[in-house]
Amino acid sequence: MINAFTVVLLGFLIICAICTCFSKNFLTSVIIFMSYSVIMSILWMVLESPDLAITEAAVGAGVTSVLFFVTLKKIHAMNDQKNEDNIAPLDEKEKDRSADM
Amino acid sequence: MSKIRSDYEKTLWRKIVRFVNGEKDFFDEQSGFDVESEELESRKHNNFFEETEWKKKKVQITELIEERSEETDRRAIKLYEKFYRLFAVITCVAIIAILLATVTNLPDYGDASNPANNEVSKKYIEDGIKDTGAVNIVAGMILDYRAFDTLGESHVLFIAAVCVMILLKIDPDSEKGKRFINLENDRAYEPKNDPILAWATRILVPLIITFGIYIIVNGHLSPGGGFSGGAIIGAGLILYLNAFGFKKTERFFTQKTFSVVSVSALLFYSVSKTYAFFTGANGLHSFISKGTPGDILSSGLILPLNICVGAVVACTMYSFYGMFRKGGL
Amino acid sequence: MIREIIAAVLFILGTLIYITATFGVYKFKYVLNRMHAAALGDTLGILLAVSGAVVYYGFGFISFKSILILVFLWITSPVASHFIAKLEYTTDPEAEGNEYRSVSLKELEKEEENK
Repeated sequence: MINAFTVVLLGFLIICAICTCFSKNFLTSVIIFMSYSVIMSILWMVLESPDLAITEAAVGAGVTSVLFFVTLKKIHAMNDQKNEDNIAPLDEKEKDRSADM
Repeated sequence: MSKIRSDYEKTLWRKIVRFVNGEKDFFDEQSGFDVESEELESRKHNNFFEETEWKKKKVQITELIEERSEETDRRAIKLYEKFYRLFAVITCVAIIAILLATVTNLPDYGDASNPANNEVSKKYIEDGIKDTGAVNIVAGMILDYRAFDTLGESHVLFIAAVCVMILLKIDPDSEKGKRFINLENDRAYEPKNDPILAWATRILVPLIITFGIYIIVNGHLSPGGGFSGGAIIGAGLILYLNAFGFKKTERFFTQKTFSVVSVSALLFYSVSKTYAFFTGANGLHSFISKGTPGDILSSGLILPLNICVGAVVACTMYSFYGMFRKGGL
Repeated sequence: MIREIIAAVLFILGTLIYITATFGVYKFKYVLNRMHAAALGDTLGILLAVSGAVVYYGFGFISFKSILILVFLWITSPVASHFIAKLEYTTDPEAEGNEYRSVSLKELEKEEENK
C-alpha cells in the first residue's frame, strides 16, 4: 500500500505543516496551507476515498484560504511585509489604493 | 548621603527583605524606596524645608517611580515570555511523545483482524445495496443507516453559521451600522469591474455550479454527496460575488434566502430522520420504494437528504464569506 | 505500441516543462518574472500532459474529462496570473513606472552606476 509516491507525498505534507508554522508572513503561511490541503486531497485519492478528496480540495484549498485572506485584509496584515521591506514607508494614498482593490 | 543610601537599597539582601515585606516587586532592582518612607526619612532629618518644597519633591519622586515601574513591567514580561516558551516546548515535546507512543501501539494498516473489521461492516457491505438501494455504500451508510450522524453534522454547520452571524453581523439600521457602512462600504467591498475576471466568471460559474449539482444528485451512485457538492456550489457563489459585487448577488441571495433555505432543509431532514434516535440505528422500514439500484431516482430518501445537506453547506459557505467580508449578506 | 510511445514522449515533455517552471520560480527574484515562469507550467505543461493522457486512453469518457480539466485550467490560470500581476503593480512602490517608487532603490541604482 505504501509506495514511493505516498512516501514523497507524506514528506511534502510534513514539510508543508512545519513551514506553515514557522513562516513569518501570514500570507505565506496561508498559501503553504493551501498546498498542504492539495497534497492532502491527493493522499485521500491514493487512499481510495474520492469524496473526501473533493471535499478537501473545495473546502481546504478553496473556501478556507479565501476566508483567511479576507481576515488578513480585515486586520490589515497583508501590507506588513511590504512595510518592513521598504525603507520608505507607504503613503496614506498607497494604503487607500490597496484598500480599494 | 543619598548616594550611600541608594547603594544600600540596591543590595540583594535589602531587596529580598523588601520583597518579603511586600513593599516592592522582587524584579525591581533600582527603585528601592517608596514615597512615604522617603518623605518620613527626609522629614526627620530636614525639618527646615517648607511645605512647597515637599510637594515638589514628592511629585518628582512619583514620576521617577512611575518610569521605573514601567521598566519593571517590561522586565517581568520578558521573564514571563522566557518561561512561556520553555513551557510550550516542554508541553509540545511531551504531547508528541505520547502521540507517537500511541501510534506505535495501533494495529497495522489493512490488517484483517483489526477491530474495524467486525460484523457491522460486514453487514453494511453485504446488505447495503439491498437495504438502502444506493450503489455508493458510503452514501447508503451516512444517509440511511447512520442518518442521525449526518443530521448532527449539518446542525453543527448551521450553528457555526449562526455563531458567525452573532459575532460579525452589523445591523444596517442602527446608528453604528450606518456610520460603519458610510465609512467602509462605499466601493470598498465592491471589486472594481475587472473585465477579465467578469468574463472568466461568466464562463466558469455555470460550470462550477453544474458540477456541484452533478455531485449532489449523483451522491448515491458515485463518490461525492451533499457535503462535497455543497462546498463546490459555495465556492462558485463566492467567485460570483468576487467578480460582480454584493449588489448583483443580493438579487438572489439575501439574509432571508439563507434562513429560509437552511431552516427548511434542516427541518425536512429532522422530520424524516429523527425517529432513529428512538428506534435505533437500523431505523424503520421505509415505505418509499427503493427503485432499481443505479438509477438517479432510486434509493428512497437518500437523494432528497443529499440535496438538503448540499443546500445547507452551500448557504453556510456563502454566508461565512459574506459575514467576513461585509458583516451581512 | 506506437500510441504508448507517443503518450510517453508527451508525458515526459510535460514533466520537463513543469521542471523548467519550478526551476524558474526559484531562479528568478522579481515577482513578475517568477509569475511568468509559473504560468508556463500551468498552460503548456498541462497541455502536453493532458494530450499524453488523451493519446494513451483513446477517445472516451476519461479523455473527455481530461480535456475538461484542460479547459478549466486554461480559463482559470491566466486570470489568476492577471490578478497577481495587477496586485503586484498596484501595491509595489518599486514597480516600473509607479509614482510611489521608493527612494532606496534609486540610491542603490546610483551606487551601481558609480561603480
